[in-house]
Amino acid sequence: MQATPRRPVAPRVMRGMLLFCFSALFVLYVAGPVAWLVSSSLQSEAEITAVPPNWLPPSPSLSNFEAIFTAGERQVTYETRRQGDAATGGFLPSGASNLLPSLWNSLTVGIWVAVLNLLLSVTAAYAIAVINFRGRRATLYTVLATRVVPDIALVVPLFLVIRNLGLINSVGALVVTYLAITVPFTIFILISYFEGIPRDLYRAARIDGCGHWGALRHVYLPLSLPALVAALTFAFLTSWNEFVFALVLTQNVEAQTLPIVISGFIMDFTTSFSFVNAAGVIAIIPPVLMAVVFQRYIVSGLTAGAVKG
Amino acid sequence: MKIETAPFSRRALSLGALSGAALAGSGQGARAQAGGTVNFIGWSAAVDQVRAHITAFERATGVRVNYENFPWAQFRTALVTRLVGNAPIDVSWVSDAWLPEFAEAGWLAEINDLPQLMRYNAEAAEYCTQSMTYRGKQYGLSYYGDHMSFMYNTDMLARAGIAAPPTTWDEVVEQSLRMKQRGIAEFPLLLSLAADSWLIEFVSALTFAFGGRFVDEQGVPVMADANRGAVRAARFLREAIHTHRVLSPGAVETGEINGLRAFGSGAHAFAIVPTYRIRALNDPTQATAAGKIRITLMPKGGPNGTNDTCGWIRFYGMTPGAKADRARRERAVRFMEFFGGRDTAGNYSMQKMLLTDIGLPSCALPLALDPDVVNFWERWAGGGAIIAQQSTLARKKDVISPWFGEWVETSNQAWQTVCLGRAEPEAAMRTAAAKWTELRRAFR
Amino acid sequence: MLAALHRRFGYDERSAALLVFPVVAVLLVVAAFPILYSFWVSLHDIVLTRPLRRPFVGFDNYLRVFDDQRFWVAVARTTIYTVVTVAVTTLLAMLVALLLNENFPGNRLLQALLLVPWATPSVVNGLMWKWIYDPTYGLLNALLLKLGLIEKYRVWLGDPDLTLLLIANAAIWKQMPLAALLIIVTMKAIPDDLYRAAKVDGAGVFQRFLHVTLPALRPGLMLVLVYETMISIRHFDLFLIMTQGGPGDASFTLSWLIYVETFRSLRFGTGAAMSYILAITTFVLSWAVIRFLGRRI
Repeated sequence: MQATPRRPVAPRVMRGMLLFCFSALFVLYVAGPVAWLVSSSLQSEAEITAVPPNWLPPSPSLSNFEAIFTAGERQVTYETRRQGDAATGGFLPSGASNLLPSLWNSLTVGIWVAVLNLLLSVTAAYAIAVINFRGRRATLYTVLATRVVPDIALVVPLFLVIRNLGLINSVGALVVTYLAITVPFTIFILISYFEGIPRDLYRAARIDGCGHWGALRHVYLPLSLPALVAALTFAFLTSWNEFVFALVLTQNVEAQTLPIVISGFIMDFTTSFSFVNAAGVIAIIPPVLMAVVFQRYIVSGLTAGAVKG
Repeated sequence: MKIETAPFSRRALSLGALSGAALAGSGQGARAQAGGTVNFIGWSAAVDQVRAHITAFERATGVRVNYENFPWAQFRTALVTRLVGNAPIDVSWVSDAWLPEFAEAGWLAEINDLPQLMRYNAEAAEYCTQSMTYRGKQYGLSYYGDHMSFMYNTDMLARAGIAAPPTTWDEVVEQSLRMKQRGIAEFPLLLSLAADSWLIEFVSALTFAFGGRFVDEQGVPVMADANRGAVRAARFLREAIHTHRVLSPGAVETGEINGLRAFGSGAHAFAIVPTYRIRALNDPTQATAAGKIRITLMPKGGPNGTNDTCGWIRFYGMTPGAKADRARRERAVRFMEFFGGRDTAGNYSMQKMLLTDIGLPSCALPLALDPDVVNFWERWAGGGAIIAQQSTLARKKDVISPWFGEWVETSNQAWQTVCLGRAEPEAAMRTAAAKWTELRRAFR
Repeated sequence: MLAALHRRFGYDERSAALLVFPVVAVLLVVAAFPILYSFWVSLHDIVLTRPLRRPFVGFDNYLRVFDDQRFWVAVARTTIYTVVTVAVTTLLAMLVALLLNENFPGNRLLQALLLVPWATPSVVNGLMWKWIYDPTYGLLNALLLKLGLIEKYRVWLGDPDLTLLLIANAAIWKQMPLAALLIIVTMKAIPDDLYRAAKVDGAGVFQRFLHVTLPALRPGLMLVLVYETMISIRHFDLFLIMTQGGPGDASFTLSWLIYVETFRSLRFGTGAAMSYILAITTFVLSWAVIRFLGRRI
């Protein structure tokens, strides 16, 4: 960063105050609802249904989380079955033991999709953004066009395809499906970033004797770190959040992802709000952790001197 | 997290399982399948009970069960996708409302030629068997059968100085107003009017109580008829919300589960709730209003009112694919018998377990005389006499038809617009009736 | 033959083909069949409760859809929902991007927080907001009551005039981070020189924004607008969890109509036709945005 001349104090204070104000609003907006989620996950069912609501848990307890982590696989027999209706919240839904395995599935699928995504879309984005070839526009529009048909319409035929490939209820089915639904947009992200990179650099590289691979490796990739991270994040989070296809393509905890298991708790006879909120908190933690780790790379792009000229 | 214990019934069940295993070992040993799998799909209710019974089934017969379950709200979508995609399903839970559609689509196999299953009809309530029959053919064995009950909170009535629960809907309003005045409850009446799959059952119960119906014997819609239709019931709802204000306008976003919780927290005095919920409502580990909820006969409404209510059943259905293959058929039949009929020890163990654990009434007539069952109703509902009487007055939804799925969307919207005060009851019912006529004509 | 191909297609073209091939392969296998199959279905009169008759009807289904009153209600709902969601998301994202682009202590923490709403699965998101909007136990009621903005608890999601906006709010909350991220990424690439030159020319903060930042953001904005439109117009998960098309028909969008037609009415033919109408609309809208805001494309 360049050294800036000393500025007068008043505008600096103004700037500081403005920044603080907006930051506070931002934090409230972004983190507020989630803070409420966390708070209610630490409360018991009775505390949660109090009016007016308890902003902070009066007696915070980790029992919901405990229940999730200790719900192991058990052989359900007449002796070990849980009686009573889980709808009223005093009981742990049967699917509780599926929460952690599904978390693992979601992570696996997400990482595979993110990595494969980069491999596929970087090359295609480069070709469309940089190379002038016949059918450039057509390719882009065709790729984008695969994403205009609403998911619910594709559910039944997709089920047929996956079934014919013998992949029903496998992590592979989800990876392949999510690749197809994320690639068009990651290509789009990368294209628009590649276009911002001055063509002179490309020409310089070609003159130096680099072929397309070389240009990609030496010019475009290093300068696109923020966009690559954005694309990775997008691919991972889309897989993490996806619901409709996962519902249809998976049958049991072998391949079910987090949203499916959580929806099983809430959508009907097994509702316990504090427990569901705890499950929700767990659903948010891994991506946020990954984000904290990766956001550094988004920022690092700004020091790339060549782009800033 | 507490686990209810009921030691004596557990012992009885495990004894039953043991003897079942013994039977399977000795008498049926020669014919027992040494393997094979049954693919069973259900929705995510009574999951532990199903799993426990599956364990017993696997031990008793040596047949493995591949059990999948989906949340009820997505069950139809997931099931339809699988059926259209030819997934290898053998047995599935089905709602009585879907029977004609699924039968027409060729997704259910009739069981009239399977005597091993048909013999249970002799011991099943007539109403249940009728609900599984379409065009003269039967399509399954029942999972459970229930009806809508009118429940009230004894404590709140006592506090308002009301001696007896209401017998007509006018009295319901009167007593509610009294409670409002005394500040006992802001909205004494609770009804779950969200546009989910339960709505048609709630409004059917109300309509029958007002002496009306949706469709006559010939299938001609009468719902818009001022005297014989659903108009009176719809008008009652509108007035309850907007005129008397005894029913919350938020009822249109209250689903069955949220309604249950609200009633169980003691915030309302009157509610229409599926009977089986009484087990949870009077359980101190599950509801704060425990011990105070009682059932009374459905109040009569309007000049032609009755004590009728809406009943439904859910049943086990077999797919034609399973029936066509000899080995699969045999396994599916054994599964359906073990779950929907008697187990290998000769007991209605699944039905009894569903009742005592969750409160789901069964269709098996012999169970009504079982002392455990009698005690159950005594303990959780303060006696089973009214429930038994109400169940004789339970009628199945008269709108069950091959176009039910499509028609009920229009109906739900019509009822909701009435509750929102955005449409006149007559006009809304006419819309629903017109849709019915259109679909019926198109089906021919 | 290879030599002939080499001569016909230059180095550029061959490279492009190679680079694009993997993507096309994946899409062909997974996306092509479902898309073509649904189109084929939309040309037939397929009603599942009548499995034996599936006549080919050409574009009859499409005409029937245009005749259906529910379709136009859904169009109205979807339009309002999409416009509100896209506009507010983009606006908020822009503000957030401007904020996070500044250098100040704690900037990193805020950037990490940014991803929290995006990381929330739509199932959890829908539930969380439904809980906040609850007429009896909800946070919104409690908050507004405390602030003195309302006199007593009221119904939110169940009020047909507010339903769409409340669902949009939940969607905006979740989508804003991605939009902000994309804009930030583009912003970071704007050379400092441009800003310095503008300052030398005497441009104030607002003018710098108008003449330097905004134009340079065009590709980023285009990205955001296209993506937001494409997904908002097809939003389904939130509607499934929060309102199921209700109350009445207050949240009866095109996606919901398609779902109802396909899985509840079991009319696969018209359901597919509706999907294609929605698909074509989405495509045209995206194409329009790309045309007007894109550079080389």
